[in-house]
Amino acid sequence: MTDAAHLEAAVAAGRPRRARPPGPLVWGGAILGLSLFLAAAPSLVAPYDPLAFDYGAILQPPSPAHPFGTDNFGRDVLSRVIHAYRIDMGIAVFATVVPFVLGTLVGAVVGYAGGLAETVFGRVVDAVITFPFLVLVIAIVSVLGPGLINMYIAVSLVGWVFYARIVASEVKVQKRLDYAEAGRAMGYTHARIVLRHLLPNAITPAIVYWMTDMALAILLGSSLGYLGLGAQPPAAEWGVQIAEGKNFMATAWWISVFPGAAIVVTGLGFSLLGDGLAALLRVRR
Amino acid sequence: MTEAILTAEGVSKDFPLPRSLSDRLAGRPARAVHALSGVTLEVRRGETLGIVGESGCGKSTLARCLVRLHEVDGGRVTYGGTDVATLTGAERRAFNRRVQMIFQDPYGSLNPRMTVRQILAEALSVHRMVPTARIPDRIAELLALVRLPSDAADRHPHAFSGGQRQRIGIARALSVEPEVLVADELVSALDVSVQAQVVNLLLELQERLRLTVVFVAHDLRLVRHISHRVAVMYLGKVVEVAPTATLFDDPRHPYTQALLHAAPSLDPGSRSRRAAARGELPSPIAPPPGCPFNTRCPHAFDRCPAEVPFLTSRGPDHVAACHLAAPRFESAR
Repeated sequence: MTDAAHLEAAVAAGRPRRARPPGPLVWGGAILGLSLFLAAAPSLVAPYDPLAFDYGAILQPPSPAHPFGTDNFGRDVLSRVIHAYRIDMGIAVFATVVPFVLGTLVGAVVGYAGGLAETVFGRVVDAVITFPFLVLVIAIVSVLGPGLINMYIAVSLVGWVFYARIVASEVKVQKRLDYAEAGRAMGYTHARIVLRHLLPNAITPAIVYWMTDMALAILLGSSLGYLGLGAQPPAAEWGVQIAEGKNFMATAWWISVFPGAAIVVTGLGFSLLGDGLAALLRVRR
Repeated sequence: MTEAILTAEGVSKDFPLPRSLSDRLAGRPARAVHALSGVTLEVRRGETLGIVGESGCGKSTLARCLVRLHEVDGGRVTYGGTDVATLTGAERRAFNRRVQMIFQDPYGSLNPRMTVRQILAEALSVHRMVPTARIPDRIAELLALVRLPSDAADRHPHAFSGGQRQRIGIARALSVEPEVLVADELVSALDVSVQAQVVNLLLELQERLRLTVVFVAHDLRLVRHISHRVAVMYLGKVVEVAPTATLFDDPRHPYTQALLHAAPSLDPGSRSRRAAARGELPSPIAPPPGCPFNTRCPHAFDRCPAEVPFLTSRGPDHVAACHLAAPRFESAR
């Protein structure tokens, strides 16, 4: 086989995989695209003001006028679920972006440097994972005081460790491969080797974990909202709504169930996007 | 021709083994793999020096020490008379540029996320080999030099065969216009039909660009085909160095003789079932005392386990490390 023919055959063999985007990516992207739209412009979609009391329509079951029913103040549950997208999508992004960026950089440096840096980092990881995540975050929030900003700070203080651990172990594998050695033999600086060569090959698991982590952050935000440590009532937030509905669970299930369903659907969207990205970013050798 | 450009002087390299807790408690000394122990070798300007030996004899470690991918534990590597371990900053980069390495594994030595163009452009721009505007032209020249189609530039490594990837590796090494090329098992991962292509390309480029080549391999025929001189390594030591013809016609070290004898012959009439060396390669963690080959040598006598033989002259430009002046290998032919 001539070179040109060989090349053509090799390229043709690799083509069909790229032609069709993976199903999970499409579905996950669709769910999250819709979620982002609702977060950006909730009032375009929501039929009512999420904070307006209506004492004439208290604890109404789902009906054409109120598709998700009303709560004990007569607030429209659908409108509250829609307005909650802004807070909960915000939690998903802001509670994870700092850990992702910081953890990835620390992990890349630690994994590349090895030695003492790795030992010290290992002890930090041990110290953090000894405590259950939620307990640690609650402890930090109770020191800083409740509220969304303090929750972001608390989650960031703890969350970067997990990204750093993932990236460090991946960089440790990558730096032993010949292409990293080739970079050193070319006389490239350490910064160039880490940022240009190792990180692009090591970051995929961290990106996939990031997607999962955004779903977990929504759960965490809702849990803290439920406990009164995150978003504060009367703000529309899914965890807050579930907490508000818990006293009426037997008589007005819709107050808690619909925000819960929103959490599930959004979490599913992130998980699907994570799976899709994993397939899309897979390195072909 | 005889000027030494790159030398190893008594180079040693140990890789420490992880030490278990019970070893520490019992106070047992730390153990290490002695990959290189006292290697002395010179690479002369313009020549091709072949380095041969069994797997695990330290030839790849030596190659990596020569380009300073490993720091040596003892002795020194010099380039143009300067100890390369003392180079820092810009001087070190200049050394890296002049002494380039090509790697064994065609699947691991190229960053899978970069196109060929990115790989070559990075080398060209980091070392400021050509003005930025000239980079695309230079990439086209390099691809033509290693006989890859010009549309190869915008593909990723996965689109190429093993032989093509090795040629990309050669193009990357040549992009910085080196004087010395260290090729570590350049073709051992390739099909035999492709090996010849890549090796002949290397030979042609060497002549055209007046390169000095260190060719590390375990394939004797290949080394014979391309080398001016050959160094034979055994268990972290160089045991014999000679011009290619001398080494293959008149080997003076029993290990070289065994190695040549063990290579399968194409002539069925001269086949022999007799093993040239007994037993297995000893562990480099605990190499035997005295001559490293004494445990397998058919000529071993009481001096061999007691005293380390040094490289001594056996003829013009021919050295070997053996206590016997002229050991004769008795073949059962």
